[in-house]
Amino acid sequence: MLNIEILIAQIVNGLSLGSIYVLLVTGFNLLLLVAMIIHFSFPVIIVFSIYMSWIVMNLTGSLALGILAAVASAILVNMVSAPIFQHIMRKRGSVDINATMVISMGMGMLITEWTSHAINNGFPISFETEAVDPHGWLRATRAPFIRAGLVSISYSQVLTLLTGIILVAALFWVLYKTKAGRAFRAIAENPDGARLVGIPLLKTGVQSYILTGILGGLTAALMALLLGQASPDLGDQLGHKVLGISIIAGLGNLGGGLVIALLLGIVEAIVQGVFSGGSWSNTVAFLLMLVIVLAKPRGVFGIKL
Amino acid sequence: MSATLSNYLTITAIFILCTWAIYLPYRMGQLHFMMIANMVISAYLGALFSGAVVSGSQVQEAINLNLHWPFILTLILGVVVSGLLGYLISLAIGDAPCFAVVIVGFAFMYLTKAIAENTTALGRTFGMFRVPRIVEGLSNSQNRLFLVCVCFFFVLLVGFWIYRFDKSKLGRAASSVFVDRDLAVSLGINVKKMGSLLQTASSALGGLAGVLYLYTLRAISPSFITFHNVGLFMTMLFVGGYTTQWGPLLAVPILWGIPLIMPESLQVWKNVFYAVILIGILMLKPEGVITRPLLRRLNNLVFKRRLKPAGSGKNLS
Amino acid sequence: MNKNKKLILICVMLLVVSLSGWSRPSAETGVEEWQIPFLNILTGPIASIGGYLQWGAERAAEEINAAGGIAGKPVRIVSIDTGMEPAGGITEMSKLLDSALVVMGPVPEPVILAAVPLAAEEGLYSFTATTSYEYVADFYPWAISWFPPTTERLAPIISGWLNHIGASRVVQFVENYGVWAGMAKAHEQGVADAGATLLRQVDVSTDAVTFGPLAVNALQQNPDAIIFACNPQKIPSIINELKSRGWTRMSNLLIFSSGDAPELYSVGGSNINGAMIYNYVDPGLSSPRWDAFRAAYKAAYNGSEPPSLSPNYYDAVYMIKSAIEGAGITGDPSRLAAERILLRDYCNEIQNFEGIQFTWSNNHGYPKNKPLYLFEIQNGAKIKVLEIIPE
Repeated sequence: MLNIEILIAQIVNGLSLGSIYVLLVTGFNLLLLVAMIIHFSFPVIIVFSIYMSWIVMNLTGSLALGILAAVASAILVNMVSAPIFQHIMRKRGSVDINATMVISMGMGMLITEWTSHAINNGFPISFETEAVDPHGWLRATRAPFIRAGLVSISYSQVLTLLTGIILVAALFWVLYKTKAGRAFRAIAENPDGARLVGIPLLKTGVQSYILTGILGGLTAALMALLLGQASPDLGDQLGHKVLGISIIAGLGNLGGGLVIALLLGIVEAIVQGVFSGGSWSNTVAFLLMLVIVLAKPRGVFGIKL
Repeated sequence: MSATLSNYLTITAIFILCTWAIYLPYRMGQLHFMMIANMVISAYLGALFSGAVVSGSQVQEAINLNLHWPFILTLILGVVVSGLLGYLISLAIGDAPCFAVVIVGFAFMYLTKAIAENTTALGRTFGMFRVPRIVEGLSNSQNRLFLVCVCFFFVLLVGFWIYRFDKSKLGRAASSVFVDRDLAVSLGINVKKMGSLLQTASSALGGLAGVLYLYTLRAISPSFITFHNVGLFMTMLFVGGYTTQWGPLLAVPILWGIPLIMPESLQVWKNVFYAVILIGILMLKPEGVITRPLLRRLNNLVFKRRLKPAGSGKNLS
Repeated sequence: MNKNKKLILICVMLLVVSLSGWSRPSAETGVEEWQIPFLNILTGPIASIGGYLQWGAERAAEEINAAGGIAGKPVRIVSIDTGMEPAGGITEMSKLLDSALVVMGPVPEPVILAAVPLAAEEGLYSFTATTSYEYVADFYPWAISWFPPTTERLAPIISGWLNHIGASRVVQFVENYGVWAGMAKAHEQGVADAGATLLRQVDVSTDAVTFGPLAVNALQQNPDAIIFACNPQKIPSIINELKSRGWTRMSNLLIFSSGDAPELYSVGGSNINGAMIYNYVDPGLSSPRWDAFRAAYKAAYNGSEPPSLSPNYYDAVYMIKSAIEGAGITGDPSRLAAERILLRDYCNEIQNFEGIQFTWSNNHGYPKNKPLYLFEIQNGAKIKVLEIIPE
């Protein structure tokens, strides 16, 4: 039977899982909004940044440099992949944007191969070792600061959730309330039209890729903090669910993504926590998505592209 | 024919059918991955009805149907059940947007996998094996050759049917939905019916591919359902070209063949080469290798050559 | 030539090359050199496992060649990648059907399920040295197992552990992958044999990334002992969640043998100190061969201890050597079918085979007398607590 203590514990757990989904879905939606890219392998890019952060922290033992490495590597990946995606987007009249999804899968494959061969002999990486975290800061943030029975809350959980919410609010403001944001969306929707009204394509394009890179880097740092580990298949495990949440919420809908991501996290936690059937939790999640899609094919909160 | 070549050809034919199963609903802009779930459902049905067995370690708890249906009956069963499933679902998502259809496909994949993994009669995580040969009494190599012939017979049959469809009014209607759904609706095209038809055909094709896959591997397990398959078939469609049926015919043999011929020293980097080729081709030809303009040019080229001796010199296109 | 034509030409050339590639079998068993094809996983997210399995096989080949080879001829391991894809597995296996004397692998279970039946049907013997007995038992006599049947040995070690710690209320984490559910069932028997109660089986989702919900699910049963039968990478995360909710009795946590992998230690670090683990390999053993193997592995893998599966294909290469020399196999292609059977029968019933860790004898294609150990984990090292030696 589900008592109140267990229910609260599972809601906290669900919010924690949901906050990972929030960060990833926000990044995925942002790429759609500012570049019209369906980056199916966006979570794999995040895993790449987590690995870069781990390499730097392993060498220097510095948390600040680790976060910087995560952000810098995410920006770098974005800048390197930008010409490839833009090449496709330039021919959007004749090319379907789903082609960006296939390119994204190719990129994901390259990163997975790199992490599974070149880093730590392909074994999973941990952020809780002496070399990576010599001062024990990461371990301290991962330790619970509130514990009441089975309810346990850590700083990392709170930080990830709050950052996720703040990021969504900030991005919403940037995209919909500032001139730069309108320029990003204009270029994504109609590059020729944007050029005609005097928007500098190159400069704005670079800015949008830097913005998505910063978000990607922060997501990587927070996921490393929350999970404490990463492995080459982590991105693949999350990819389809991120796509699912984005569709259910409504493609490109930042606020909708936040709500659905948190709700899905809570539903999964309760299914895993109440029934013994953890192996059915994904099925329940996808069944739920199925029902919602059948009722609301354009997403619960509507497509915002 | 060597075992290697026959297996390569059989799987190539099956993957062409699978890619066409994605191509069909994509004619009107829907990515219908339910065909992968249908592929597995029909493979399991085929295994159950053909007399395949579950692992000896679970046999005590398994239900033995003791059925030994011949290949053709299991094939019909797989196609009919898959088509029916596809039709029933299409009643709800026949006119749904592209990505809503994606989620339906994912949901069915998960559901199928979870049921297979938890059902003892289906061998749980071990799956089922010892699927009988396609024709009992023939040797292994004769069976393989027969399977190659059967698979390519279906490629020809389905290919011809898709060719006729593409050239028909219906095919052009599907293309118009892809280009501009609103315009298609105002032209009087029933998007839902169109979606229903294509999704049902896609599912039935998935069922056909599933039974052929079963008789090739002669085993089926839940681990055969992966998101890797989604990526594989999407890649084959987009690299080959998603606007015509000919794209998969070119892309599947090459993309499936390249990893198999990599030299030993490059085996470790197989996926890297694969990804680089994928990105490279899409950079060069974002709409895929075979496009409608290319086909038109080829068509013109052939016609010109034919017409030259007659001295006409007219371009008939 | 325009871009389209160039592209079509490239594609056609690739197609021709891809089709011509199969006229030359890559893994012939020649009389000048013994070529042992190894169907391994060298690409994808779990390529690291294939990497150290390959390392073990290569090391055995180097040692054998340095000592004069097999029956005077050098041996070479031919590495073949199957990935995780069953279709790729059967195509790679089919390349070997007409030429190979024996095949090592495949490694991933989905590929085993597709490729081993094909090999068995065509009379090619597979050394599936990393998977559980149950996966290959159906293909006997054409596949060999490195492990005894799951139910035979696990129940006694579980009851031994429960008696050792004096616990009676057990929860088990189970992931529904491969043979793990079967192993969990064998654990259940051990729990019953010890007079304890299995309170709940908590299913671990294959693609779970956070584990708080599962830890709460387990702890609400108020257990005094917990067994893990799930992915080794997930176990430290679950333990962390248990500890963050007040779990302190580390010796009351037992990790199953499939969890004894580098992922467990690279992720777990000192957080899993004190937890128990059972397995068939004792890293603390001291013998010249094992010490040399261990030192070489540490040198190759930045000081890491050799994973429990790393000696399996090392031993497999030595067993093939023993079979070729013991059964008088010549490698003559005209006697391929007969020599495959000779090798198969020799290995299925091999007696007193000197493996790198212990000497064992096979009966019906699996070892009868391999010992099983219970260890305590301390900073990545394993300290022996209990040993079960079959009669």
